[in-house]
Amino acid sequence: MRKAVIFSLVVLAVTFVDSLDLTRDYIFPSYFKHILFVSLAYSVLTLSLNIVSGFIGQVSLGHAAFFGLGGYVSALLTQVYQAPFWPSFLLAGVIAALVGIPLGAPALRIRGPFLVVVTYGFGEVFRFIAINLDITGGPAGLPGLITPAIGGVSFSSIGVSGKEVFIVVMLVMALFLAFFMRQIGESRVGHAFAAIREDEIAAAAMGVNVAYHKLLAFVLGAFFAGLTGSLFVHYLSFISPDMLGSNESIMILTMVVVGGTLSITGSFVGAFLLTVLPEALRYLKDIVGLSYDPWLVLFGLLLVIMMRVKPQGILGVDTVFRR
Amino acid sequence: MLLVQQIINGLALGGIYSLIAIGWTVVFGIVGLINWTHGEVFMIGAFVGYFLITSFKVNFFVALFGAMIAGGFTAYLLNHFAYRPLRTGPRLALFITALGASTFLRNLAALLWEPHSRAYPPTLDFSVQTFTLGGSVLTVNTLQIFIFAVTLIIMAFLQWFITRTMMGKAMLAASQDLEVVSLMGVEVNNLINITFWVSGILGGAAGVLVGVLYAINPYMGALAGLKGWAVAVLGGVGSISGAMIAGLLLGVAENISSSYISSGYRDAIAFVIMIITLIVKPTGLMGFKFEEKV
Repeated sequence: MRKAVIFSLVVLAVTFVDSLDLTRDYIFPSYFKHILFVSLAYSVLTLSLNIVSGFIGQVSLGHAAFFGLGGYVSALLTQVYQAPFWPSFLLAGVIAALVGIPLGAPALRIRGPFLVVVTYGFGEVFRFIAINLDITGGPAGLPGLITPAIGGVSFSSIGVSGKEVFIVVMLVMALFLAFFMRQIGESRVGHAFAAIREDEIAAAAMGVNVAYHKLLAFVLGAFFAGLTGSLFVHYLSFISPDMLGSNESIMILTMVVVGGTLSITGSFVGAFLLTVLPEALRYLKDIVGLSYDPWLVLFGLLLVIMMRVKPQGILGVDTVFRR
Repeated sequence: MLLVQQIINGLALGGIYSLIAIGWTVVFGIVGLINWTHGEVFMIGAFVGYFLITSFKVNFFVALFGAMIAGGFTAYLLNHFAYRPLRTGPRLALFITALGASTFLRNLAALLWEPHSRAYPPTLDFSVQTFTLGGSVLTVNTLQIFIFAVTLIIMAFLQWFITRTMMGKAMLAASQDLEVVSLMGVEVNNLINITFWVSGILGGAAGVLVGVLYAINPYMGALAGLKGWAVAVLGGVGSISGAMIAGLLLGVAENISSSYISSGYRDAIAFVIMIITLIVKPTGLMGFKFEEKV
C-alpha cells in the first residue's frame, strides 16, 4: 500500500509539476511524459501477463495479440462505426477476453514448450490477418484515431502536453490491476491458481477445477491487455499490425521475467526498466556518436546474463521457476 | 494440373523446412530445449555461404560445406556458453536464455552485415524445363530439383548416421531417456555437444539452400526458425522421419494455399497447421507420447 501511494505521488508529481507554471521552461519535456505513459502501459500489460505466467505458471508468447486486438477493436469501432471512446474501450477489453477463451483452450491439453509455440502461433496468425484485411488498413494500419474525451473535454486539451490525462488513466488502471491481483492472490481462486502452478495433477486430484481456473487466468489477462491496447492506440491515435506481433509479446514476457514472475512490484520494475533503458541507450548513442542502436544486441546479452545470475528475476519468487 | 505444379514447386522449399525441423527436433528430443536460436544458426549459415561464394569465389559445394561447419560450430558455442550452465536449472530460464541469445545474434548480424537483403550470385547452372503431362504443361526449374536432391542426400546421410553409427544410436537412445543412457556409460556432455553440432550442420545447410533460392537478410531466421518448429511439431517432436515428411507437407501446403487462398496468408499456414496439430493430436504425425507424472 505504501509503495503504491509513493509511486502514484511520484508519477502525479512528474505529470503535473509543469502545469503549476513554477519555472519558465518545462521541467519534464513532452517526450519524458511519453516515456512515462508507455512505461505505465507496459506495466499494465506485464501485470496482466503475470496473471497467466505468474499465477498459473503458463508461459504465453501471444500476449501482444490481446493488446493489439483491443487496439483494433477500439480503433474500428470509433472510426468505422463512429462509436464514442468509452464504450469502445470497454468492448475492446470484453472482446479480447472472449478471444482469450480459444487461446487459453490449448493450455488445457498442452503445456510447457508446446503452449509457448501455440500462443506464439496465435499471435502471428492475428498479425497476418491484420496485415491482409482491408478493414484493418493492411500493413500500414489505421491512422487518425479519435482522442478520448471526458465530459465533453478532450484528453489532449487538458494539461501542458496533452498527455497528462492519459497518464492518470493508465496509472489508475495499473493500480487497480495491482490491487485486484493482490486480492485474487489471497482469495480462494488465488489458492487454486497456486495449486495448479505447483502441480497440476495434484491440484486436480484435490478437487481444483483446473480447466476453469486456467481459462479464467487467460481471460482476465486478455481483458486487461485489451483495455490497455484501446487506450494505447487512442493515445498514439494510430495502430499498426506491429502491435500484435511476436516481438511485442516477447518484450512483455521478458518484462515479466526480468521483473520477477509472480511479483506485482516486479512487474512495474520490469516494465519501467525495459522501457526506459532503450530510450536511455538511444540518448547515450547520440552523445557517443555511434552509428547504430546498440539496444537490441545488449538486450539479448542482458537476458542471457540475467538468466545465469538471477533466473527468478529481480523481485521474483523462487517457486515459480522450478523445472 | 495446377495442383501437381504446386506440389512440384513446394518440394524444394519443403525439403529445406525438413532440414530446419530436424535441427529443432534432435535438440528438443535429447536436451528438451526449445532451441529458439536455431533460426539464427540457419541465418549464419546463409551468410557464411554467401561470403564464401562472393569473397572467396568458391564453388557451391564448398560453400555448402563451409556453411554447415559454421552452423555446427555456432550451435556448439551456443550450447557451451548459454545452455550448458543452465541445464539443471529451471526450464523457463533456459527458454528465456534462448530468446536472449537469438535476439543478440540476430541484431549483431544486422549490425555487422547491415540489415538489407542480399542475393547469392548465380553459381549454379539451371534451366526451366517444360513437360506435358495429361495434356497440360508443367514447368520444372532444375534448380529446385537440384536443391531437393541435395536435401535428400543430406537426410539420407543423417539417417545413416543415426541408425548405423554408435553415436547416432546413442542419440536415439538419449531422446528416449537421457538419464538411463548416461548410466549405460555414454558421456552425456559429449553426446549433447554432438547433438548441437548435428543440429547446427543441418541448419547451416538449410541456410545456403534457401540463399540459393531466395534473398537473405539478418532477420530471416525468425520466421524460418519458427516454421521449422511448426514442422517439427507437425511431424511429432523428437521424430526425425516425421520431420522429413512434415517439412515436405508444409512446403506443398504453403504453395497450394498461396495459389488457392491468398498469398498474403502464405506464412500463416505453418502456424495454423501447427496449432491444429497440437490441439487435435499433440503427438504429431509420428511422435512419441510424453508421459507426465506427479
